[in-house]
Amino acid sequence: MHLKYESQLREPLVYGSKTYHDVTEDIVRPIEAKPSKLWYIGFYIAIALLLFGVYSLYRDVTYGIGQWNLNKTIGWGWDITNFVWWVGIGHAGTLISAILLLFRQGWRTGVNRAAEAMTIFAVMCAGQFPIWHMGRVWMAFFVLPYANTRGPVWVNFNSPLLWDVFAISTYFTVSLLFWYSGLLPDMATIRDRAFTKLRKRLYGIASFGWNGSTKHWQRHESLALVLAGLSTPLVLSVHTIVSFDFATSVIPGWHTTIFPPYFVAGAVFSGFAMVQSLMVIVRKVFGMEDYITMGHIEAMNKVIVLTGSIVGVAYLTELFMGWYSQNKYEGYTFWYSRANLFSPYGWSYWGMMACNVLSPQIFWFRKMRRNLFVTFFMSVIVNIGMWFERFVIIVTSLYRDYLPSSWAVYYSPTIWEIGFYLGTFGLFFTCFFLFAKYFPVIAIAEIKYVLKTSGESFKDDMDKQELMKAEEFAHEYAH
Amino acid sequence: MASIKEQFEIPAKMKTWSLALIALGALSLIAGFITKGSGSEEEKAVFIGTIMYNTVFWTMICNAAMFFICATTLAMGGFQQSFRRVPEAISTLVPIFGSITLVVLLYVVFSGNHHIYHWLDTKAVENDEILKGKAGFLNVKFFTVWTILTIGLWSLLGWRMRKLNSEADEAAMDNEQGASFIWRNTVSAALFIVWFALTVGSTVPWLWIMSIDAHWYSTMFSWYNFASTFVSGMALIALWVIYLKNKGYLEYTNQEHLHDIGKFIFAFSIFWTYLWFSQYMLIWYSNQPEETIYFKHRVQGPYKGIFFLNLIINFVCPLLILMKRSAKRNYTLMTFMAVLIIFGHWIDFYQEFIGSISKEHVTLGWLDFGILSFFVGLMIFFVSKALASKPLVPKYHPFLKESIIHHT
Repeated sequence: MHLKYESQLREPLVYGSKTYHDVTEDIVRPIEAKPSKLWYIGFYIAIALLLFGVYSLYRDVTYGIGQWNLNKTIGWGWDITNFVWWVGIGHAGTLISAILLLFRQGWRTGVNRAAEAMTIFAVMCAGQFPIWHMGRVWMAFFVLPYANTRGPVWVNFNSPLLWDVFAISTYFTVSLLFWYSGLLPDMATIRDRAFTKLRKRLYGIASFGWNGSTKHWQRHESLALVLAGLSTPLVLSVHTIVSFDFATSVIPGWHTTIFPPYFVAGAVFSGFAMVQSLMVIVRKVFGMEDYITMGHIEAMNKVIVLTGSIVGVAYLTELFMGWYSQNKYEGYTFWYSRANLFSPYGWSYWGMMACNVLSPQIFWFRKMRRNLFVTFFMSVIVNIGMWFERFVIIVTSLYRDYLPSSWAVYYSPTIWEIGFYLGTFGLFFTCFFLFAKYFPVIAIAEIKYVLKTSGESFKDDMDKQELMKAEEFAHEYAH
Repeated sequence: MASIKEQFEIPAKMKTWSLALIALGALSLIAGFITKGSGSEEEKAVFIGTIMYNTVFWTMICNAAMFFICATTLAMGGFQQSFRRVPEAISTLVPIFGSITLVVLLYVVFSGNHHIYHWLDTKAVENDEILKGKAGFLNVKFFTVWTILTIGLWSLLGWRMRKLNSEADEAAMDNEQGASFIWRNTVSAALFIVWFALTVGSTVPWLWIMSIDAHWYSTMFSWYNFASTFVSGMALIALWVIYLKNKGYLEYTNQEHLHDIGKFIFAFSIFWTYLWFSQYMLIWYSNQPEETIYFKHRVQGPYKGIFFLNLIINFVCPLLILMKRSAKRNYTLMTFMAVLIIFGHWIDFYQEFIGSISKEHVTLGWLDFGILSFFVGLMIFFVSKALASKPLVPKYHPFLKESIIHHT
């Protein structure tokens, strides 16, 4: 029998003395109870935002893209900024569920379910922007490359924008499968506990007839590994291809070879920040402090300081090359349009630097990593910073082009551009509230999987093994 | 239990072999000096360049072993504890290879060898607006100071990590002592990683390698070199682990650990390719002459063969061969792949340096392999010495037991 052991120096992943049944009770309880007042208030605010977004889009479709303030050089403004921002946020879910699974990080079990759900909702929000940005949205199906009767009108296979269509739709599909297949055993747990016929029926359908047999578990586990293996290159490819949208061009500030890995790091950075924002609230509202522990929060803050610093190295690399290349267009973009605080958009560059590079350095300190208030505050700051980053890249490179006579006037969004953005928040939170109400926000089965290794009471029982000499231990337990 | 071999003893044969390799290397160095060191300017540059890329490559891959230790320490890894003395031993070479690198690089800049570093040619710089503009970074003073700092701090911070870890040989730790031990390791590892990011992750490859093409630039360049040296470093770790296993050492290390090392090699080979592709494709796609000039003779000129060989060895082979689970658990296959990958990235370094120093002629030949044997000999000699100087397993490391029962 394989020994369930980990060093007592590691913090438990589940606090308290819990049995498998306690785990089920704790996590399923919010689903079986009536939602609280707070839930309703939040849900209605989200719906209101969503409706505002719908109305903003109605204006866009009826009156055209002129409802936005895009102008002759700034053809991409808030819309594409928001698109990249939401796609980036989606990355944390896959990183936590797939890459950390491959790295055998037990702490992922506390947060993976919610993070994966967040990924799916974020990608749904992201997808809105390029679609409605098309203007004549009824032509949206033109992006699908199929043998058609439109004569020579084909998609441009050379364009990274088309690669995006493939990358993001594939990513969405695989993320959805990954998330849902992970949900099956938990759905079955809820089904088996259901006290009304309707519940039993609905959760029964949702659990695809899961019966917990060994065969089911075996397939479930190998499916998880296969999907993790598929998701890992996919998650890298998505933001890589988003970065290609910029980097394949010859626009100063866009064409730079470091873009792909730096975009991926930035995406993980912002995604973790969003997971923090949500988890800090979820653990409080649902009383999940035993499962989403300070150790989980700290681990995620470590990822934030790591990815924030990687992004910082990339920013400085770009800025350095803006000078080192001695290319005057690059130099102008980086040193005049961006790093110069007094240029029209200088504020956005320094906002980005302050939020993404400087402020996360606070997480070098253990006390700060384990402070809930600081964590929540920083998670919001990072998401603001990552929004700035995309705005900086897009707008500061576009507002001055090669021909001074076509330089744009100062760009700021209209209420309908802002409304569209707020609408995606509405969509995101509407989905998240529904998810939190009807789905287990923590992966029940996966918590059970780590419980006997990393649960507090089980770890306390390991005193004997902890005191053994390495030789004895190996003699006793090594395989 | 008495059968556990904790202390490595250097076999006489190994010592002889390493000394023979060093002697062979020294001979080819002398022969190279006679035949090329006194030839035309280009021949001389190639001779020095050959020493340069070897020493930089070996310094960086040995430093990558310390990077592995620090990264896994920060990630609170447990699985690597049973064989961690291997990367530790490899990292003891950083000061040794680093000194050679320092001497060679400083020789190049102080002798003003502008066939290698064009920016050393003061006359050319004066008449070149671009190089003049770069002089704030590409100058002898900065190069010297930064190179000394880089190698000095790599050595110092690495030494600190190794010293800290020796505490795990002394006595059992209770939970409190263990926590303090882990904490101090973490802080020390963080210092190393920060310095690593400021050197390998950014400035050093620009300064040492990219500046050979003084006009050319690519923001990806340093991360690309990091990936190249890290995957080679992992391969070197794999080789020593397998060697020690075959000799009956490293009792607690087994196929599970080898499998994980194999995963690292597989994953970072793909990562290297990802960075390779991102850099190459973006330059190819936008097709701007000041960028494509770097690849022109590499893809379409005399370096074509090397260019594709690089991709085949470092991408196609690991992708196809290491994908399978059984391959990563097979000692023979892993040995073969580790050697292949070190060789592949050595070739990558060859084309990075010599591809820029001698654009017309591919010079890969006896001199390259001779000098390689010099470094391999030194590596074997010093790694075996370092392995013998300490117990092979940090017996009282708080995470060692996790490593003992590790299942990949």
